[in-house]
Amino acid sequence: MLRFAGRRLAAAVVLVWLVATVTFVLVALAPGDAASRLTDPRISAQTRERWRREFGLDRPLPARYAAWLGAAATGDLGTSWLHHRAVTTVLGDALPNTALLAGLGLMVEIAGGVAIALVQLRRARGRLDSALSFAALASYALPTFAVALALIGVFSYRLGLLPPSHMHSLAGEQAHGPARMFDLLLHLVLPAATIGLTGLGAVARYLRGVLLDERGRLYVLAARARGCSEQRALLVHVLPNALLPLITMIGMSLPFLASGSLVVEVVFSWPGMGQLMFGAALARDVPLLMGATILMTVAVVAGNLVADLAYAVVDPRVRL
Amino acid sequence: MRTTRFAAASLCACALCAWGCRKETQASAALAQTGPHRGGRVVVAIQGDIATFNEYQSSASATEAEIIDLLFPTLVTEQPNYQESPPSFAPRLAASWELSPDGHTLTFRLRRDARWSDGIAVTATDVVFTLRAQKDEQVGSTFVELKSRIRDVEVVDPFTVRFHFTHAYPYQLMDANDGHIVPAHAWGAVPFSQWRTTDFSERLVTGGPFRAATHTRDQTLALTRDPGYWQQPRPYLDELVFRVIPEPAAQLAQLFAGNVDMVPYVPPREAARVQARPELALISVPARLWGFVAWNNRIAPFSDQRVRRALGLAINRQALVESVYCGFARLAEGPVLSTMWACNRALKLLPFDPQQARALLAKAGFVSNASGVLERGGQALAFDLLYPASNSLRHQAAVLIQADLARVGVRVTPLPLEFTTFLARQEAGAFQALLGAWEESTKVDLAPQWCTQAPGRGSNNFIGYSNPEVDRLIAVAEERDLSNVKPVLDRAQELIVADQPVTFLYEAMRLIAIRRNVRGADINAASPFFNVADWYWGT
Amino acid sequence: MSVQPGWRQLPGRLRGGIVLLGALAVVALCGPLLTRDPAAVLDPAAAALLPPGASRVLVTLADGSTILADAARQDRGEWRVTRLGAERTIPAGRVAQVARHRFWLGSDSVGRDVLARLCAGGRVSLGVGALALIVALLIGVAAGLVSGWRGGVVDAVLMRVVDAALAVPTLFLLLFLAAILRPSLAALILVLGLSSWMGVARLTRGQVLSLKERDFILAARAIGAGPGRIAAFHVLPNALTPIVQDAALRLGDLILVEASLSFLGLGVQPPTASWGSMVAEGQEMLASAWWLTALPSVLVALAVIGAGLVADGIQDLSRRKAAAT
Repeated sequence: MLRFAGRRLAAAVVLVWLVATVTFVLVALAPGDAASRLTDPRISAQTRERWRREFGLDRPLPARYAAWLGAAATGDLGTSWLHHRAVTTVLGDALPNTALLAGLGLMVEIAGGVAIALVQLRRARGRLDSALSFAALASYALPTFAVALALIGVFSYRLGLLPPSHMHSLAGEQAHGPARMFDLLLHLVLPAATIGLTGLGAVARYLRGVLLDERGRLYVLAARARGCSEQRALLVHVLPNALLPLITMIGMSLPFLASGSLVVEVVFSWPGMGQLMFGAALARDVPLLMGATILMTVAVVAGNLVADLAYAVVDPRVRL
Repeated sequence: MRTTRFAAASLCACALCAWGCRKETQASAALAQTGPHRGGRVVVAIQGDIATFNEYQSSASATEAEIIDLLFPTLVTEQPNYQESPPSFAPRLAASWELSPDGHTLTFRLRRDARWSDGIAVTATDVVFTLRAQKDEQVGSTFVELKSRIRDVEVVDPFTVRFHFTHAYPYQLMDANDGHIVPAHAWGAVPFSQWRTTDFSERLVTGGPFRAATHTRDQTLALTRDPGYWQQPRPYLDELVFRVIPEPAAQLAQLFAGNVDMVPYVPPREAARVQARPELALISVPARLWGFVAWNNRIAPFSDQRVRRALGLAINRQALVESVYCGFARLAEGPVLSTMWACNRALKLLPFDPQQARALLAKAGFVSNASGVLERGGQALAFDLLYPASNSLRHQAAVLIQADLARVGVRVTPLPLEFTTFLARQEAGAFQALLGAWEESTKVDLAPQWCTQAPGRGSNNFIGYSNPEVDRLIAVAEERDLSNVKPVLDRAQELIVADQPVTFLYEAMRLIAIRRNVRGADINAASPFFNVADWYWGT
Repeated sequence: MSVQPGWRQLPGRLRGGIVLLGALAVVALCGPLLTRDPAAVLDPAAAALLPPGASRVLVTLADGSTILADAARQDRGEWRVTRLGAERTIPAGRVAQVARHRFWLGSDSVGRDVLARLCAGGRVSLGVGALALIVALLIGVAAGLVSGWRGGVVDAVLMRVVDAALAVPTLFLLLFLAAILRPSLAALILVLGLSSWMGVARLTRGQVLSLKERDFILAARAIGAGPGRIAAFHVLPNALTPIVQDAALRLGDLILVEASLSFLGLGVQPPTASWGSMVAEGQEMLASAWWLTALPSVLVALAVIGAGLVADGIQDLSRRKAAAT
């Protein structure tokens, strides 16, 4: 297992370098650059040329790449052109916000999906099963912003129970300790619920299908014959065997903790990685884009590594 | 037992918090008295957070410029009276000023009671420092070229500063005033070479009615009253809070719910919903934003003036304005906005006449082919119309233009592009037609857009328009006194409109929604926060 | 004992799903033949944002132009036409036709008929969505099968390609593609499929990894079956459950993702409608003109539900077959 992890880490470093290079080239080839947004008619062409010189955009691509790579290899990711702060600081501010929201959202999604799948299994092929299937499909298919706006409309504006946006209320931003924590939790409810509701349909459907398959197998019949209750057979025997596709999904979702959902962040005014990367892409802020891409690559690699290791743990027959 | 007590306690906390959230802005309204008095907070919704407090670090967006104006002083304040004559100026940091008889020097006498937020007096040193920063190439701000006609600034005494110009020209006061004064004692410690990479919020010293209290990035910027402000007892408001809400629909929803008191940009389609609410006021001011269809004058068929004019005649501009802007815009007829003093009111207006359009196109050699599309020499009159995909108003305009031109046999393909890609293609001239818009300043300067492209001239003339007579007139206008420049500008406008290098579409208005209880607000064409120090909460 | 399923013997879900998808397909294929021109812009100011069921009077003039009036009546050789509250008089000679014009599902911000656009958009969305799904499935299943079965270096390399594809910022990849490809439906389908195959590959690989060591596979290898045969006849059918479930949901994703591609110049160009772009256009007017976003969203949801029911139904059918043998 350790040798496996070691090999994967080495591959990860190569992968990060490869993705960074491809991204650098793609960003350089994209139409427009950091000086394109100087659209005020009073700004002269000379000013734009000077901006390009300042950012090194007039140098040839290999020279720019070498400069960036040299700095990045020593850990210096540079200063964001848009935010005028170190790239590491900017990412460090946004990442925890996204990880918190995405993490909570994923937990809601998985817990909700598992719960619905188990209920559906109890009453398989009954009317409740069909109704829940329908609801799970519908909630997944509806656009995220529509679900978000519906939740805000009902719980914020009509019922006045929860805040409609932001991480803290104006009072909460000044508070400290438990009051601040409580304010944050209140503000997390709706966005996490949005992520959870739009995602649990997928989890529920996978699990239902796989659990139905597993439930019909001989070992379950044997367990029931031994006197195991329906519930215990489900939880102890069937569920673990259905875990593999679930692990694939969780592994593929881990990068989501780093990238976040742009739609949710915009609707709820949540200052996370989604908005950050979108703004950086629009402004062609090369240092920030490169830093964020490295972060994303690390997240993707880590997610897959965790998923593969979990496979090996859960299913001893899997040889890595 | 413990769990029930804990549950009860958390339920109470929950209820209190939610109740507290709702009552936040209502507390301000409870200070209802007549006449200006201190107290209260106004919450303003903005689409994006400011990137930096130092306007010389970046190309400031419009919102950023308005917020920086609340925190840093300028020498004088430009008045919103540019409709009838060139704008006048009111004292701000400068109590008085005078231009020397030869026009080469402009002397400002500063007020003596102006203070930075840390108590230090605002002096001539700050003004000089600011100009050095504006002109410094290492800082590389957008002001370097704008200030090229100011040779230097000298400190005459701590409260008198003298600007030396290369020569006399109409806009000396405007140019000297451009850009906000920054604190030399706080920011002078940072060498100009490091200005681009320094985070100035760590050494923030401001000099205005408000000072920055807290800044939670991409969430909230809270400004509180600066006790050292020279117009005591102003500002009346205790706090001015900017809340970042990226979606216009969400901004309005929060305005209606009471979380926010002012929305500085209301989409025209939502205006009716704001007007339907008795507690809100909708104010429309002329924005200096105008839209056009840019034809690439360098390539066929747009190099032919008849084709450009025909295309303009075929577009129902009035219907476009009514439909897309719901009446909150007027037709644009020429290169100078109709709200500006320099506008030529005698211009011949471009009618909506598809018949004449067809006739003109026929004269230009276009014949209808089998599928009804016009063609000349085997080439169909078909082209792409570029526009930024994120702008739904331009999307609607593109669809309408496509429909209008289809009726005269022209095939238009609207091509939505990512915003920066659109700007890049605009700058490079890599397009056939595009839907563009400019935001003009109050300075009437036709050179950047309408002069033939040459080093230092026509830097925004991406359509490749070239008329030597127009170039000559613009050069003459630049040297004339403002009192007798109008005939020259009128003639230049006449020529440009006759050439129809672009089809002038609309001049937009800006819609601002504000709670009626916020009194004393003079929201005008210069800025929504024009007299923010006078705002107070009433009934 | 082979069971020949008649329609009634098919599982209920499968029947429901087929009916739903069939209905949507009929709407998409035949709808445009029965409804008006979806690109017709009649009278933008007067016809904008009308709610479902609203009706107006369409006055067509002799020169071909149209006026959408609130009301029109004939009065001694003249027509009195009321539009937006203002009345005007048109001599009867200039008027070609006067007819009632009903907007069954309302109109959008420039006055186009929503019903017509939904029908026309169905063709684009369902067609592009289905084809892109096929592309994603083909590439993803093939990659996952090869990767999971072969293992070793092949697996490592393929999975790192998947990782790379997931980590590179999609926006720039798309901008690059937009710059080199001329916007067309083929380009759109290709781009959508390429953006979606990674999840299918990982899922397939996971299934293959766990199935690889199962008894029936070992038995097949023992009797000398080649890897291709094992993959096609033994591994793939058993691995299908999560892949098929995922495919149904992926269809909905692809339909909606197409809308965001139009922001980059890669999606359908106006005036072609698609459900995804209708949802995106109506987003900012949700509070005042809910039908612009709600109606296409419902149709997308129905498509996903239909596909999901079909997927579930096929599972039920194969489970039934397995139980019967």
